[in-house]
Amino acid sequence: MELEIISFGKIAEVIQSQQLKIPDVSNTEELKIYLEKSFPLLSKMKYKLALNKTIVQENLELKNNDTVALMPPFSGG
Amino acid sequence: MKTERYDRQIILQGFGEKAQSLLSAARVLVIGAGGLGCPILQYLVAAGTGHIGIVDDDTIALSNLQRQILFSTADVGKLKTIVAVERLQEMNPEIEIKPFNLRIQKNNILELLKMYDIIVDGTDNFDSRYLINDACTLLKKPLIFAAVSGYEGQLAIFNVKDHQGKATNYRDIFPVPPQAGEIPNCAENGVLGVLPGIIGTMAAAEAIKMITGSGKPLINILLHYNLLNQEQYQMHITPATDYNLPTTEDDFLKMNNHHDLESPSTYIEVDAIQMRALQQLPSTLLIDVRERHEVPALDPATYVKVPMSEFDTFLNTDIQEENILLLCQHGIRSVAAAEALQEKYGHSKKIYSLKGGIVKWRDHFLTPSNER
Repeated sequence: MELEIISFGKIAEVIQSQQLKIPDVSNTEELKIYLEKSFPLLSKMKYKLALNKTIVQENLELKNNDTVALMPPFSGG
Repeated sequence: MKTERYDRQIILQGFGEKAQSLLSAARVLVIGAGGLGCPILQYLVAAGTGHIGIVDDDTIALSNLQRQILFSTADVGKLKTIVAVERLQEMNPEIEIKPFNLRIQKNNILELLKMYDIIVDGTDNFDSRYLINDACTLLKKPLIFAAVSGYEGQLAIFNVKDHQGKATNYRDIFPVPPQAGEIPNCAENGVLGVLPGIIGTMAAAEAIKMITGSGKPLINILLHYNLLNQEQYQMHITPATDYNLPTTEDDFLKMNNHHDLESPSTYIEVDAIQMRALQQLPSTLLIDVRERHEVPALDPATYVKVPMSEFDTFLNTDIQEENILLLCQHGIRSVAAAEALQEKYGHSKKIYSLKGGIVKWRDHFLTPSNER
């Protein structure tokens, strides 16, 4: 399936925002495992997923052309 | 009420004298008088917010002036709260502005929050942010969350019910605070001065919208802003179920996941003079945890180089010295390294971190006597 990945902050240095063709992934938990395997630095970072502009609180099914954002916490002031 | 000062907003459609009197009666606490706090305060004061509290325990540094636009060069070394109140009161003497020159902690935050109706978080560290979030959630105080990193910012409003009756807080996005050093801050990551200017101004706008009931405030919405491409991205926040927050003040005071009260972090932060004294002791190891490319380079005979990227491997070796002092550019990574060593050695060694890092004590590191 093809997903639009949008990444913010330091996450963007590991995974740039892009259209990503992803094999054998059907939900957000599988997507996290896939991304952390493909981009190993991501597994050491704190981030939250948003699926189609809603923060993901549980494992959700993915559809073709969904948008997934990866948001790190910011603390600066 | 004298209205000439506020004439340009009173004549706005949908604002009027009613909104102005709501502003005049409003009580807003701004925590942190830094890059975000300055513009937040300036616009709240100019707009005629009736009662404003300012919390900060810091003094003004030269490196603050690039973004903390309430302060001038002559203010360096003075208390932020005192200078801020002076400037702001000159700008608008018709409102009440109170300085709270203190660091928020578990044992003082609840009393502070109770004096105000809307809280704006413009602090610069996760310990404070989680403490403010948890205290506001306990007291059901509307919290405007503003934060920046690099060229990007985040903004949200917590603890206010949306039209479905749901309220969220920061732990619905990030339930567990990051470890010290896990996420870079402004001192390590850098920040362009206008970024907190933009995000702080947007936070002030959200406060004014909340107070006057104007527009659609960012309730249960996390706004992400990128200065480099001027893009905004909004994400809807829903309540999570994977954390518990205290429901009584007693339980809040007993919470132990706030670093400032969390038990034995027994490493000690020292200044350059204390570091010099430590160097005279017979069994002291000085470790520079900066990466190999960082400057100024220090004499490797005096300062052993163990970059943070190699620190995990280093933890597997045993240190013979009794005193270990860690240093880095700003004294932030060295705290993370000190915590890791503390965890390994407990009370068997004395661990120190150079507060403020090499940047703060630059003269000390550049004097030739230090090379011996």
